[in-house]
Amino acid sequence: MAQEKSEFLKGTLDMLILKVVALGPIHGYAISQRIQQISKDFFQVPQGSLYPALHRLEDRGWLSADWRESETGRDAKFYTLTRKGRRQLETELVYWERLSDAVAMILRTAE
Amino acid sequence: MHWLRRLFRKEHSEKQLDAELRFHMERQIADFIAKGMPPQEARRRVRLDFGGLEPIKQATRESRRGHLLETLFQDLRYASRMLRKNLGFTIAAAITLALGIGANTAIFSIVNASILRPLPYKDSARIVQISAHTAMFPKFSLGISWLNLDQIRAQASSLELTSAYSETDKTLTGSGEPTLLSVASVTDGFFEELGVTSQIGRLLIPDDAKAGQNFVAVISDSLWQTRFAADPNVPGKTLVLDKQPYTIIGVAAPRFTFPSSEQAWIPFSPSAADRQNAKYFMLQTIGKLRVGEKPEKLNAQLDSIAQQFMKDHPEVGVYRFSSEPLLSSSVSDTRDAFLMLLAAATFVLLIACANLASLLLARGSGRQREMALRAALGASRGRLLRQGLVESCLLALIGGVLGIVLAAQGVELFRAIAPPDTSRLSEISVDSTLLWFSVLTSLIAGVLFGIVPARRASRMDPNEALKEGTGSNLGAARSGRQSRLGNALVTLEVALAFILVVGSVLMTLTLSRLLHQNPGFRTDHLLSFDLPQPAGVPSEKGKDYVKQQSNHLREIVEKVRTIPGVVEVTTSDHGVLKGMMMQQGGLIVDGAIPAPSKESRNANARYVYPDYFHVMGIPMLRGREFSDRDNGDTDSKVVVNAAMAQEYWGTLDVVGRRLSASTDDKGKPTWSEVIGVVADAREVALRDEPSPTYFLSALQGTVGSLHLLVRTQTDPDALGTTISRQIWAAYPDQPVTHLMTMSRNISESLGDERLRSVLLTVFAGIGFALALVGVYGVVSYSVAKRVQEIGIRMALGAAPRDVLRLVIGQGFLPVVLGVVIGAVAAAALTRLVASQLYGVKASDPPTFLGAAALVLVVALIACCIPARRAMRVDPMVALRYE
Repeated sequence: MAQEKSEFLKGTLDMLILKVVALGPIHGYAISQRIQQISKDFFQVPQGSLYPALHRLEDRGWLSADWRESETGRDAKFYTLTRKGRRQLETELVYWERLSDAVAMILRTAE
Repeated sequence: MHWLRRLFRKEHSEKQLDAELRFHMERQIADFIAKGMPPQEARRRVRLDFGGLEPIKQATRESRRGHLLETLFQDLRYASRMLRKNLGFTIAAAITLALGIGANTAIFSIVNASILRPLPYKDSARIVQISAHTAMFPKFSLGISWLNLDQIRAQASSLELTSAYSETDKTLTGSGEPTLLSVASVTDGFFEELGVTSQIGRLLIPDDAKAGQNFVAVISDSLWQTRFAADPNVPGKTLVLDKQPYTIIGVAAPRFTFPSSEQAWIPFSPSAADRQNAKYFMLQTIGKLRVGEKPEKLNAQLDSIAQQFMKDHPEVGVYRFSSEPLLSSSVSDTRDAFLMLLAAATFVLLIACANLASLLLARGSGRQREMALRAALGASRGRLLRQGLVESCLLALIGGVLGIVLAAQGVELFRAIAPPDTSRLSEISVDSTLLWFSVLTSLIAGVLFGIVPARRASRMDPNEALKEGTGSNLGAARSGRQSRLGNALVTLEVALAFILVVGSVLMTLTLSRLLHQNPGFRTDHLLSFDLPQPAGVPSEKGKDYVKQQSNHLREIVEKVRTIPGVVEVTTSDHGVLKGMMMQQGGLIVDGAIPAPSKESRNANARYVYPDYFHVMGIPMLRGREFSDRDNGDTDSKVVVNAAMAQEYWGTLDVVGRRLSASTDDKGKPTWSEVIGVVADAREVALRDEPSPTYFLSALQGTVGSLHLLVRTQTDPDALGTTISRQIWAAYPDQPVTHLMTMSRNISESLGDERLRSVLLTVFAGIGFALALVGVYGVVSYSVAKRVQEIGIRMALGAAPRDVLRLVIGQGFLPVVLGVVIGAVAAAALTRLVASQLYGVKASDPPTFLGAAALVLVVALIACCIPARRAMRVDPMVALRYE
């Protein structure tokens, strides 16, 4: 079951991360906390998916990263949305809206 | 460029990744503690959550783009470390591959250069050789006449160009020792058709053939280099051929030579009579098909030309043309032998591959635990698969490189031992195409033999594999499957090796039978050499030509006879054991019995000097042989061999009968009386059964070139130089060629047979050795796997003898099966090479039995070594093992 959930997340995880990072520089742990909080514990991002995704996004140039002092005083890797990342996020949001509209429409008509 | 930078700052990025994940972990722990969880419980929860740092790190690493390249380096490093660690295995595998690839590449280079690669002429694939065939000489492909050439040029519309040539040997005199030169007289269009250019001066043009201005010559690059020191002003200089000065007009492009190893080309200027002669079978003809034209269409056109020709010229009798691609007509005799060698080399490669596969299989299962451990530590399935492939490809490349070195050596060896007249010998080399061929072969081998063990390793469950080794049922089932595969490979290797052994024995027996074949004449203390175009003979055939020539002949023979150490001297018009024979048209035998078969029969002719049979040691069966009195002043006489007497008269008592070898000017037979019958001898080739032959007196006929046979008292080798020096002293312009003892002559005439025998024996040796290593490896491996089982058996009371029987029984069964399969396959395959055998049948039972015994006994020994090790297993040690 857990396996299926993370599979489902795979397409949307990237978008969720980009959206969270868009709010300002943030480190990996905070990203997972933020996603969990906002979704009211619906999404729990496993570390095994989070970090590969972060590195993939960084690798594609959508996120940039630097080491700076965290709120506890320890150095942490903070991710920032790049301009390229912002464009990507916009594309994905548009796509997501159309997708969810379409899905909702089918569900309504099928009633 | 993130990924590239990361590639070089790998350590740094590893540290960062670690720090990033640790930060996450610690923050989470801190959060849990802040929520009131006891610190120990918090840590446990987080660690459980993470489920191990390594797999996460691995997944993160793999999400980067540079990952593939980065890990390829890792894999390569790892692979080379593993190969270094298992040096024994690496060396065995690399040598195995090198031998297989080396043998195959070498033979393929040779085959490619000699029978596959297009001839080095323009559009050579479209060039066909056109020959004539008559009822009188059914076995020979003859040249065509000028009349035919004109008709073909006019009527064979499928040909774009047609030209002809005729090869002759001419004596080159002038500066340096007189030498014999291969010269071709060529018609117009010859150079154009072959696409040749000149590097200096010009080539022949049609006007050069006009009488009075036809003494011009184009010389080859090599003649230009050797005789004219690459003088750029060579056009205009003189080349003296057969005492006739020719003006050099140009030098052909480097490396060009055609039809064989021609050094000069002169215009073909036939006499008016030759031009009209329907039975002038002298023009070797090459035609170039138009683009897109089929050979069938040409053949149809040639057929209709021949039909018309037979109507117009009834004197030629049954007449037809044939056409054959130039390439196949120039290599037809070597094709079968080369294809056989190619097959043998392929067998060696197959054996090598099978060997490598079993080595990798054995090692693959030995490394299951290592693979399992790596899988448990987070290596993905694909990664393990790739790792295995990288390793086997690296191994294959090492083998491939070694193989190329071996191939280059092999080609050199071939060039050294191949008979000098092997077609296109000089073109043979390892070229870049073949380099790629072998690199590709080795990579394919690497992928094929790496993928099976690697897939197996990547598919297994780490849990099971790590638990295995204590003899779980699963492990036993898997190793059972593995040993079945191993056994199948052994069977294959043994079968192929058996075929190779049988082939090499058959070829070696052939060589030995030929070497021991009694030729019917005495071969010891016999020296032979050629005097091509004997100097001092008038070139115009005048009235006293025969007389002048025989005087000259006597002079030469006497000159040689007086050399100390020479016992007797005689001559023949063509060489002994040179594979040459002459058949004259129009042989009429008086009182001949009807031919046993419908095929037209013919006999070989040979012009010999008095005492020929005595000097050669061929026994006279009836009558007498030629003496000095059988010369131009007396009636023509003939001596026949026993085969001829039996074939034509059915008896040996034929002295006094007569035959006619030629007709006079008015077409009337010129009869010769039989004065003697000699025993059959193999003067043409050791392989050939003696065929009907008649001998005419050299003093009564016209002889082109001279072959001298000298019986010596002492070592004939020592006399050679003395003889040629004496001849040059008397006749400064006389070339002396092919000077050698009869034993060397015999050995050279068996060059092809020797080559086949040597190469097949080398291949059989390699294949056999590899197969034995395979047998040994598989049995050793199965013993190593079963040490525990053997220990238990011994603990339960099995005697060492039982263990020996168990191990040998299992290891030997695939060998026996291999021999059986090999024997069946060999019986089928050797039939294909039956024509290359002599004195031994393709299915020679002693050969098959001997080869089987050899393979079985040696394989048994290979089984015994690991079996003895098994026998000495100490049950206590074996049970404590693991």
